[in-house]
Amino acid sequence: MVLDQLRSLIRPKDGPVVVVDGLTETFRLYHERPTGLKERLYRFRRSSWTEFDALRDVTLSVDHGESVAIIGPNGSGKSTLLKVLARILEPDRGHVEIHGRVASLLELGAGFHGDLTGRENIYLNGAILGLSKARVRERFQEIVEFAGIDHLLDTPVRTYSSGLYVRLGFAIAVIVEPDILLVDEVLSVGDAAFQRRSLRRMQQFKEEGKTLLIVSHDLDSVVELCDRAVVLDAGRVVFDGPIKEGVDLYRRMSVDPRDRARLAAVPSIGSRVRIEEATLLDGMGRVADEIDPSAPMRIRIRLVANEYLEACSVGATVQDADGVDLYEVHTGWQGVGVGPLVPGQAVVVDVRFVAHLLAGHYAVAPVVTDPGGRQQWASLPMPLEFRVRPGGGATGLVDLQGSTSVTEGPAVPLRGDSTTGPIPIIRLAEDPDAARE
Amino acid sequence: MRTLQERLAELWRARELLAQFTRKELKVRYKNSALGFLWSLLSPALMTVVFTVIFGFVFPFEIEDYAAFFLSVYLMWQFFQNSIFGSINSIVGNGDLIRKVWFPREVLPLSHVLAQLIHFLLGLLVIVPYLVVTRGWDLLANLPAVAVGIVLLTIFTAGVAMIFASANVPFRDLQELVNVIFLVWFYATPIVYPAAMVAAKRDDITAVETFGWVLDVNPMTWFVRLFRESFYGTVASIDGSSVRFDSGDPIWSLPEVFGVCAAFAIVTFLVGYRLFNRLALTFAKEV
Repeated sequence: MVLDQLRSLIRPKDGPVVVVDGLTETFRLYHERPTGLKERLYRFRRSSWTEFDALRDVTLSVDHGESVAIIGPNGSGKSTLLKVLARILEPDRGHVEIHGRVASLLELGAGFHGDLTGRENIYLNGAILGLSKARVRERFQEIVEFAGIDHLLDTPVRTYSSGLYVRLGFAIAVIVEPDILLVDEVLSVGDAAFQRRSLRRMQQFKEEGKTLLIVSHDLDSVVELCDRAVVLDAGRVVFDGPIKEGVDLYRRMSVDPRDRARLAAVPSIGSRVRIEEATLLDGMGRVADEIDPSAPMRIRIRLVANEYLEACSVGATVQDADGVDLYEVHTGWQGVGVGPLVPGQAVVVDVRFVAHLLAGHYAVAPVVTDPGGRQQWASLPMPLEFRVRPGGGATGLVDLQGSTSVTEGPAVPLRGDSTTGPIPIIRLAEDPDAARE
Repeated sequence: MRTLQERLAELWRARELLAQFTRKELKVRYKNSALGFLWSLLSPALMTVVFTVIFGFVFPFEIEDYAAFFLSVYLMWQFFQNSIFGSINSIVGNGDLIRKVWFPREVLPLSHVLAQLIHFLLGLLVIVPYLVVTRGWDLLANLPAVAVGIVLLTIFTAGVAMIFASANVPFRDLQELVNVIFLVWFYATPIVYPAAMVAAKRDDITAVETFGWVLDVNPMTWFVRLFRESFYGTVASIDGSSVRFDSGDPIWSLPEVFGVCAAFAIVTFLVGYRLFNRLALTFAKEV
């Protein structure tokens, strides 16, 4: 007791317990993997692979007592991040600092040996998680009760059901009593009762003032449990802030891409330069997400240099609802380089264009590239979306500004109503709302 | 990058895990076998019969108590060989664990070495009485020397085990090769024949000279010498294929054997540990 108090005096209660700085984690995807000495010798240097960054330049810090949800689509690097924090993976670039005892629930029951009994596996698994034998013995009864394996203690675990397996794994893992708990998707296994119980256990954990990092797709539980969200996309942190906003953003990213609103507030992360803000404006300079066909538009891009830049090129790509590029313009192609910039220097670039588009959903993606426009240096995680209202007396994608005239024979003026108005035929099936208007 | 001291401290903190893994090795092996430990004595018993028939009768060496001569070192060779055979797959075979939990990875090969060490010690309990009966009470005086030899051999074996276990991750067919490597190594170590016989013919035949040189640089030669001179005896005289041994000479009178064994043990362990830790950085990605 006294010892614990002393320890808490020594270890500062506030201040970051997890610091991740510029972390990049690279994996090799082997095309045809030489797996042996023999192949290595006669195909020396000929093994080919593609490198891919599961994490790119991730920087974040977590304070003592925070509970952070790491969310993002599949393959965005969430689990990789957790594995680096758990020391399973070594950082390839950047560094990671952790203060305090870490326990990770990355896989429940990893390390169980099928031929050993439940009792033997409790001790083995406890040791894998860094627990002393005495500590496991002390909490043995608690583990057995939580898992409900009383009657199966001396039976080899290979005869256990998968639910039982997971329950036992969780029961052992939670007695580790770490300062920092890393949890990967374990909330989603087991039956409903077990899920509730494990959720309650983590809640309790949080109340004890421990630090919690959770990877989960169960957004409702995460909102309940966490205060902060870190949203990853393609290995980069695209959002770091309050849980509600983070979850909202993720929902927009994953659930309904057409419903994405303005992302102006979401800073992107790039290495040389970052886009801090991008706003879509109409011809009058008002923030716009809905315009008339062939209206003038402007995307205002605010970027900040991370390092000294001789010159860069700032541009924008206009895309249709399927993400097909329709138009791209860059300062560089117009003969203007942005720069030179010193680190920390901010610039605002306006990219103007006339949206010769007809009714439908479109998007604009701001981008910073090398002066030649070939290498992308910074972008936003998602393009800014806008909608073009019906009009222009035509349908299709591009507003060619056509007109008609009856040069011979009678003509009669029609009152524009919904039955005769142009219906965007192609989009009818997938966007009934747009058609109705 | 952690320093050697930090790593060793980490390994020390993981001693409980090491004990648990070792226990697991032993338990899993004997879980479904009634005879248990006795099985591990079957192989040395059979090998003794085979080599006693070959070198006692077919191509006779004039060595008294050939079975004792062979057994005095065969158990320690078996400890060495089985440790490597067991640990070579310990990283690749535990990929699931390595991808999901952090712990000092060297615990995996080391637990195999420790499990084999326990077999070895139990085996000695059976063999030593036999050696005492055949070679006399005097050899008991050498038991402290044997204890030191066991410690050094364990350190050496741990180093080799870490090299094989980690190298097997990038070079998966090492697993296939290891049987051949150890077959050659077995005959390149004076286990079934006395080293003195090679030394005696060294000046006469070039091939033997090369072979003698191989024996000299082979660390196991030195460990064999340590164990054989403790358990069987030192060479008294040699004449053709007849070698006479005196039993019971206190091995302590041969400090250079201990020195060479200690040097091999420490250097191999440090090299193995370094290589292992270097390769361990990418274990989670490669297994």
